[in-house]
Amino acid sequence: MRPDERELDDEIRGHLALSVQDRIERGQDPAAARRDALAELGYVGDLRESIRRVWYSRAFDAVTALGRDLRFALRSLSRSRGFSLTVVLTLALGIGANAAIFSVVRAVLLRPLVNRDEDRLIYIRQSAPGIGQADMTFSVPEVQDLTSQASTIAAFGDFSTVDFALTGLHEEPRIVHAGVVSGSFFDVMGLRPVLGRLITAQDDGPNAAGVAVLTYRFWTTTLNSDPHVVGKAIRLGQRTATIVGVLEPSIPYPADTELIANIVTSPHHMGALMRTNRSHRMTELFGRLKPGVTLEQARADLTAAHAAMLKAHAESYSARAHVQLSVTRLRDQIVSPARTVLLVLLAAAAVVFLIAVSNVANLILARSVRREGELAIRAALGAGTAALRRTLLAESLVLCCLGALFGVLLAQPFVTLVARYAARFSVRAVGITVDSSVVWVGAALALAAALLLAFVPRLPSAKSPAGLGVPTGSISMTPATRRRLRVFATSQIAFSFVLLAGAGMLVTTLVRMQETRTGYDLRRVVVFDVPLSAPAATDPKTLEFFKEAMRRVAQLPGVRGVSIAMTAPWRDAGAIPLMQVTAEGYSPENGEENPHAKFRIVAPGLFDVLGVPLIAGRDFSDRDVDGSEPVVIISESVARRFFGTGEAVNRRIVWTDPLARMMGPARPQRIVGVVADVDDENVVPSQTMAVYRPVAQMGIAERLFVRVDGDPHSVIAPVTRIIRDLSPEQPVERAATLEEIRSQLLAPERVNAFVISGFAGIALLIAVVGVAGVLAFSVSARTREFGVRLAIGSDPRDLLRRVLSEGARIAIVGILAGAAGGYLIGRVAARFFVDAQVPGALPAAAAAAVLVAAALTVSLVPAARASHVDVLQALRTE
Amino acid sequence: MPKQTEKERLDLLQGTLDMLILRTLQWGPQHGHGIGQAIRTQSDDLLKIETGSLYPALHRLVKRGWLKPEWGVSEANQKAKYYQLTAAGKAQLVREQNRWAQMVHAIGRIMNPVENKE
Repeated sequence: MRPDERELDDEIRGHLALSVQDRIERGQDPAAARRDALAELGYVGDLRESIRRVWYSRAFDAVTALGRDLRFALRSLSRSRGFSLTVVLTLALGIGANAAIFSVVRAVLLRPLVNRDEDRLIYIRQSAPGIGQADMTFSVPEVQDLTSQASTIAAFGDFSTVDFALTGLHEEPRIVHAGVVSGSFFDVMGLRPVLGRLITAQDDGPNAAGVAVLTYRFWTTTLNSDPHVVGKAIRLGQRTATIVGVLEPSIPYPADTELIANIVTSPHHMGALMRTNRSHRMTELFGRLKPGVTLEQARADLTAAHAAMLKAHAESYSARAHVQLSVTRLRDQIVSPARTVLLVLLAAAAVVFLIAVSNVANLILARSVRREGELAIRAALGAGTAALRRTLLAESLVLCCLGALFGVLLAQPFVTLVARYAARFSVRAVGITVDSSVVWVGAALALAAALLLAFVPRLPSAKSPAGLGVPTGSISMTPATRRRLRVFATSQIAFSFVLLAGAGMLVTTLVRMQETRTGYDLRRVVVFDVPLSAPAATDPKTLEFFKEAMRRVAQLPGVRGVSIAMTAPWRDAGAIPLMQVTAEGYSPENGEENPHAKFRIVAPGLFDVLGVPLIAGRDFSDRDVDGSEPVVIISESVARRFFGTGEAVNRRIVWTDPLARMMGPARPQRIVGVVADVDDENVVPSQTMAVYRPVAQMGIAERLFVRVDGDPHSVIAPVTRIIRDLSPEQPVERAATLEEIRSQLLAPERVNAFVISGFAGIALLIAVVGVAGVLAFSVSARTREFGVRLAIGSDPRDLLRRVLSEGARIAIVGILAGAAGGYLIGRVAARFFVDAQVPGALPAAAAAAVLVAAALTVSLVPAARASHVDVLQALRTE
Repeated sequence: MPKQTEKERLDLLQGTLDMLILRTLQWGPQHGHGIGQAIRTQSDDLLKIETGSLYPALHRLVKRGWLKPEWGVSEANQKAKYYQLTAAGKAQLVREQNRWAQMVHAIGRIMNPVENKE
């Protein structure tokens, strides 16, 4: 039905013939008849077009034209493979990095939580900035005060953690990390079970039966998603409980636990200390806003309730601690640590994309200058500006789509890398895979790039007839084009400089952290976790077991020392209690509160093993046992605080902390020694006060320290064997040198530096390729000029210098622009992010040096070519 | 739906050429030039149809199924495309004639209101 193009022509031709015939029959002479008939017909193109329009829509025409242009583009690109490959790879890097980062950002920052009505879910935190406690949690009396006062909260959920010895699910008993909650918790959190039921109000109260809900991770990873687990009876410590359900996959906040049990399962939670002591804090608090209540209203309400509580119980809150309350949406609380890092990554990826696009724009511009002849001929043959633009658009579409395709493929491994990294900051990043948004981001970026790039080259137009030469085999370049090329190359250098300087800053920070003196001999000490179940921890037999284990370990070849302690450096950060302490005979000034000191439990020899110097007095000995005089060793800062420059040894300290008083009457304890200060909880050490008690008098030690000459890893297997021989069921876990533990702690910084350095490396690579491209192009466009210069006696070395200095100029101007821009960005960023830093002089200078060196190196090739121009050949080219 | 009626009114006016073509083809198949000439002579040279209007109109009618094109040879042995009324085209012609009559009547009432009152 639809007539093809030839049929249309035939019809019009037929019409013309009939019209002429008609006129001749009416007596006109053939020539005049033909003239009149043609005049009547008018412009055939218009007629043909209006008939075609009946059958073919404009969109159809546009699509066919684009198809034609795409085929043409493919043919023309396949002729310049090097160019196409460079462009596609450059874009793939830019698009891949962006797509990957974006999918992580989306998953971590933008995706809503699985919890029902998650925007009404709030997290309430009590902190005491005055004594450096960012999260001091709540005590049960505090929770009761707040919940009874608040009017904007529909319901509160409380959560605390304890460790249980779990029996009944595995062959051997094992220590599990468990959450303990009241019946409102799951309803407030808005979570559902995947199996069975969750803990509800019926499980509250001292007479309820013990019940436990397994977390999804624990159920799937260690129980192989056993569908028959519901109803099983287990033992948690001394109590029994029934598994009633499995929780749906959700973000484990504030703590990742294996199971969550009701309060009755934990004797500690049922005890008087937990229930009545205002200072015994271990509960995290969540709330669900009443419908229609805004976060601000809830914040005002809870802050008022909190202030009233502080007033009513002023004796429990010191003014110096500055106890305060913060109320945030749970979602924001969960993602906040990751936000800055991810936004920085996103910015870095965007910069790489900009560099990539500007480099590709450069390449395309240079290519279009080479093609000016071709474009001029097409324009002369009747191709309109739109048609030429479409040709260019088709070409950049092909390039960008290929770039996007490879970019999305590249994004796959990249997402895994970034997700693993982001998981350190946000639990939401755990298990991120490439989501389909990557494809959309890739496609959107490709389209944006394609449109941008199609408008880079200049088109032949009536206005600039002189600008475009007919092809002569040589290239001529207008000053405008050369300026544009230089601007692109310069901006790439500027962007790379910002990235390089940023990466340099991260690396120097990392190096500084790694080199910080910790006070420990990191390389030669191996730490083992020897976790004990609750009853064994205070059993005197356990001490005998450790004594025997240490005796045997000490006999191993290469072992220089062995000891035990309550906590391992860094790995147990946060587990060391802070307790108030004072000294006999020390009179505090008015209003001065007793200082908080870290309460640590160590065995004789530990300071030796770790390499912590004993400043005065003696170490603990085997005679400091249960029943003998209670003794302590204090850190230097404690000694200075209480005794100034005076003698500390043989003075006495007294624990004044309510927690310590709960454990018995506060007996003064004699100071037998003073050791150097160490901080093994923070990456950047700060001064910490610590009071050490001997294991033999306290009875809690779960970490074994071994100091080794030679390879520390060689003792791991024998030590494990010794402990197994003594107690077959005793777990021995996570053996590592202190250096390894600390470097694990630095892993986020390391990956940070690594990822940003990666970006900076990519940027540097692209930017120097850009500079080299511009120079190479500029040299080949000026072949004739160089030929003339050489012919009239220029020194080839002078030409070499000229080209090199052109490269250096681009690099230096770029660096200056980057420094200025980077400084501005830093200033702006500092307004939004507290921890934004501007790189110091050293990283900036290093980045500048690297860029100039790289730019000069790549300039050498075109420069060498310029100085070796064949004079005759050059003069003949035009 | 005021838009719909507006469109119909436009169609009616625009459709005049279509009606003339359909009417001309009532006497048998004809090629484009012939149709143009026939309208011209039958209207005593009052209506001159531009080729630029005639041919797109013919193709539009073919597309709607009211005409059927067929290649043929003229008396003077010239290859030409002949258009022929289809059954649907004949029905359309009747509809258009009715509408035309209504329109003439309506316009008449507007232009000569006094005459119509008597």
